Amino acid sequence: MPLSGFLGIQYDFQWSVLWTGEHGRWLLQGIWTTLRLSVLAWIIAWLLGILSGALRTVPFAPLRALATCYVEFFRNVPLLVWLFFWYFGAPQFFPQAIQDWFNLHGPEFWSAVVGLSVYHGARMSEVIRAGIQSIPKTLLEASVATGLSVGQAYRLIIIPIALRLIVPPATNESLNLLKNSSLALTIGVAELTFMSRQIETYTAKAFEALTAGTLIYLVLCVGIASVMGQVERNFRIPGLIARVGRAEH
Amino acid sequence: MRSAMRVLLVAGLVLGLAVTGWAAESTLEKINRTGVFTVGARTASPPFGYINKQNEWVGFSIDLAKLVHKNIEKKLNKPIKFELKESAPATRIPLLSSMAVDLISGTMTDTRPRRDSADFSITFFVTGAQFLVKEGSPLRGIIMMPFSSDLAGKRVGAQQGSTNERIIRERVPQAQLVVFPDQAAGFTALVQGRVDTYTNDGIQLAGLKAKAPNPAEWKIVGDFYSYEPYGMAMRKNDSDFRAVVNNALMEAIEGGEYFKLYDKWFGPKGELPYPLTDDVRQFLSYQVVPK
Repeated sequence: MPLSGFLGIQYDFQWSVLWTGEHGRWLLQGIWTTLRLSVLAWIIAWLLGILSGALRTVPFAPLRALATCYVEFFRNVPLLVWLFFWYFGAPQFFPQAIQDWFNLHGPEFWSAVVGLSVYHGARMSEVIRAGIQSIPKTLLEASVATGLSVGQAYRLIIIPIALRLIVPPATNESLNLLKNSSLALTIGVAELTFMSRQIETYTAKAFEALTAGTLIYLVLCVGIASVMGQVERNFRIPGLIARVGRAEH
Repeated sequence: MRSAMRVLLVAGLVLGLAVTGWAAESTLEKINRTGVFTVGARTASPPFGYINKQNEWVGFSIDLAKLVHKNIEKKLNKPIKFELKESAPATRIPLLSSMAVDLISGTMTDTRPRRDSADFSITFFVTGAQFLVKEGSPLRGIIMMPFSSDLAGKRVGAQQGSTNERIIRERVPQAQLVVFPDQAAGFTALVQGRVDTYTNDGIQLAGLKAKAPNPAEWKIVGDFYSYEPYGMAMRKNDSDFRAVVNNALMEAIEGGEYFKLYDKWFGPKGELPYPLTDDVRQFLSYQVVPK
């Protein structure tokens, strides 16, 4: 009662619904699904982002155009639409036998992984391009002058430096990805938000369930932010980036 | 860690402030003060609440809520504005608790756990869950007495927040349940072949079938495997308001207004033909207590 009094609403809070019966297990399952979904999508998004971010800066116009098309096409359509597309639409292009096989192997989860990673890959690509373009052009020229091919120069010199420069915006993008994974419930993935709503469904205790979901996202995000902060400190290149004191976040 | 704690604390305060607003007052007092009666309705559940071809928000539950509106005006003896707000299964109780709406009038089944969080009016519609499949599908869904089902290993779509989802989970655990947040996504999954069948209250399936581009393509199968008495939901412990709501419904059943509306929506020429059975008619009239 004290909390509802503070909030000014007529509501009797019962926090025990979060762990009584199966509800605790549901929340844990939801966290597990959210993490699996986000980590898989995160890895693929990085790979796509690095590839297309690098391609957007290479001195070869057709590759730049290809990467630009990918980025503009995927980041400018809402993620929700992409999830519907990958789940409802894309499988239709395959023969019935493949669709049947797909239907038996978690189509909801994998559509969500593809949707999230392709969308966030496009956004990540822009972050990485910004990192690459902040490196003076002369570094690429110097690398090529030492006898490296453009591909080698990118792989060994440019991208490793760019990745270190972009940790703060990449952290941002990673947190967005984690939170956007909640949209997967629209195509039936039983992730964290889904499970909080499931508890609400069974107990009609909406505030408790949604507050639990919110706090879990918050803890996950604060955790990721602090890990990324550590990564930033460990991998910074002394002398390349001027900084006073340690990173605050 | 200390900074993390600080973040949590601030976030908690902000969230807390976001829902702070009104001090406790009764629903009738609130309606009297603001001059507005706000009802949470469905937008995609024909014919209870949906957007029609003329882009108007209409439905059987909305018409019933308008009867309640009239009764409130009579009780407060002044004109009150009637306002609709979209409410989905997952949002309807928070909408009530936060005073964003005064009444939920959609397709909400009255259940015992739900009565812990909201109060319900008398029952205004009775249905039960069944299955929707493509014409030609061998599936029969669930047959009652004795209980049998042919859903093991099948992909069954359901709507989150529905009572039938819960029954499938408990009684047919071998079925692969895929739960969608709304009816539109569940039906699309059925159309696109992502699920083998979609389950919901029989009347809602009839609505989906009637609204489909080619209704003959779909059939409703199986017995009613759940009992779904629809009620209007309101904030708990507000018996004055509940009496206004219930009296409006009872007068409508007694005076025949209810059956006129039933005929408008479910009659032979209605949006969705669904004849009223004699025992349901009897049940509705037994709910009316004497004057």
